Amino acid sequence: MPLRSLVSRVVLAALGACLVLFIVGPLLRLLFFASPASLGEAFRDVELRESIALTVFTATVATMIAAGLGVPLAYVLARRNFRGRRFVQGLIELPVVVPHPVAGIALLLFLGRRSAVGGALAGIGLEFVSHVPGIVAAMLFVSAPILVSGAREAFRSVDPQLERVARTLGDSAWGAFRRVTLPLAARGVLAGSILAWSRSISEFGSIVILTYNPKVASIYIFDRFTTYGLQSAVPAAVILLLVALMVLVVVRVLQPQER
Amino acid sequence: MIRLENLHVRVGNFDLRDISLEVPKGGYALIIGPTGSGKTTLLEAVAGHARLRSGRVFMHDDEVTTLPPEQRGLGFVYQQYHLFPHLTVRENVAYGVSRGRAGLDPDTRVAELAQMLAIEPLLDRPVRGLSGGEQQRVALARALAPKPSILLLDEPFAAVDPATRQVLRRELRDLHEREGITTLQVTHDFDEALRLGDLVAVLSEGRIAQSGTPEEVFRYPNSAFIARFVGTGNVIAGTVRRTDESNGRGPFRAQFTGGNLVLDVVAEREGPMHAVIRPEDIVLSLTPHPASARNHINGRVARLERIGPVTLVHLDVGRPLIASLTTQSVQEMGLTNGLDVIVAFKATAILLV
Repeated sequence: MPLRSLVSRVVLAALGACLVLFIVGPLLRLLFFASPASLGEAFRDVELRESIALTVFTATVATMIAAGLGVPLAYVLARRNFRGRRFVQGLIELPVVVPHPVAGIALLLFLGRRSAVGGALAGIGLEFVSHVPGIVAAMLFVSAPILVSGAREAFRSVDPQLERVARTLGDSAWGAFRRVTLPLAARGVLAGSILAWSRSISEFGSIVILTYNPKVASIYIFDRFTTYGLQSAVPAAVILLLVALMVLVVVRVLQPQER
Repeated sequence: MIRLENLHVRVGNFDLRDISLEVPKGGYALIIGPTGSGKTTLLEAVAGHARLRSGRVFMHDDEVTTLPPEQRGLGFVYQQYHLFPHLTVRENVAYGVSRGRAGLDPDTRVAELAQMLAIEPLLDRPVRGLSGGEQQRVALARALAPKPSILLLDEPFAAVDPATRQVLRRELRDLHEREGITTLQVTHDFDEALRLGDLVAVLSEGRIAQSGTPEEVFRYPNSAFIARFVGTGNVIAGTVRRTDESNGRGPFRAQFTGGNLVLDVVAEREGPMHAVIRPEDIVLSLTPHPASARNHINGRVARLERIGPVTLVHLDVGRPLIASLTTQSVQEMGLTNGLDVIVAFKATAILLV
């Protein structure tokens, strides 16, 4: 191999390795910092178990709402060419660029009892601020863009002509969607949903403003850290990290192989 | 039967206009035209995939203009086949008859079609990995499964190798004759139209430029564009001037000037137009002899192009001209590159468009 290409390979490898180490290093340090005993103890901590259960529950509800409203939207964005499509797409992606505490404050103002919307919802018994629905709302706000863009790309990867073929073979528009497009896009939609779900699990900035109590896992960890110090926060952090890693594995398996 | 009345379809900035066409029951019609002439859009309009701005579509005397594709009872085979990638070959073929749809038993129907199209060994394979010709057969079987009375084909042979194309063409023609399905096919290949169709319509820039039997369109193209597109022969731009002073009605003797040539022609009007001379109407000789052919030009053989029993003689007569002779007569005359020849053709052999 010529020297120049050898040198360039080494340089490229070194640059990449730096970043990979920077990501993997802290996570490994965290994993090994916690003793197995302290992890076991953390699992027996009712408050931690409850916060993890709450997190999983609220993230699941937020993902289901995002899927129910977002999958049809993703299909429309992928298939139809209407005026303002790019604008709608931009709006949907807005939460990605809004700092999360800003999102939290905006949601607080929008869903608080003193706003028209929040007041009306409180009237039918749906309280957001310092209640579980507040957690779901914050999670929905930050995770919906991820689900919509994942599902949109999944639908876009299915050739629209396949639906037309199905129509000429006797399917209605809905039948063609259900028998052809949906099965072909299902893996991508599911992968997008799981990414949205894990984004909900990891949300902190907006939830901390909207609903500090009851505590989701990320707030529980933050609370432990500020009240009792590092040692006390680590076991919960490790458990949340393990959940995140499992999600990553599942998503990798679901996603179509890269070429 | 398919009847289109004054269709107008707009897709993006492209307009398909004034499309009127009738394919009789059991007929085989071909829409031909260069890329971008709107052929696929026309098929999609017939299938109900493209919204019409105006016009009406009839199938077997019933108006279907407002019916969705699934209620039109037609089969559609796309250029790229578009087999369902998540289903096996069997499931693809059975798609339109699954759960007793179209009142047919899926198993029986799949077996029938698999035998007819020789795809039995493929039935339980996934569609990935099938060859172009195999995909073509499966796509055809899938479209035919619900026993449509109308079949739409979009460049069905474009993606297969020439040998397979020959076989598939013949099979399709046989199938058409046996099943009596009214067929409308799109192609960019006039040769295909000559071999398959009872009727052709040439599409140009979103309009039907000419329609008729393949033979009619080939022999009597109504414009220089069609003459060039279907390969009728030599097309020369020029002007016609009347030489016959009789002033009677009907065709008259005239002179055509264009492309360095002055030709005696029989015309019906004067002015700028194109002369079309079919290669097989040109007679070559080595010595001048008084014959009935009115036009005699001195030329030179530029190149010989042998296509089996026929040889195309590329001539230089001050402009290029192609003559078609039997290979045998080329050999008997001893034609070679650079040889001077007398080029002759009748005034009546010149088609003015």
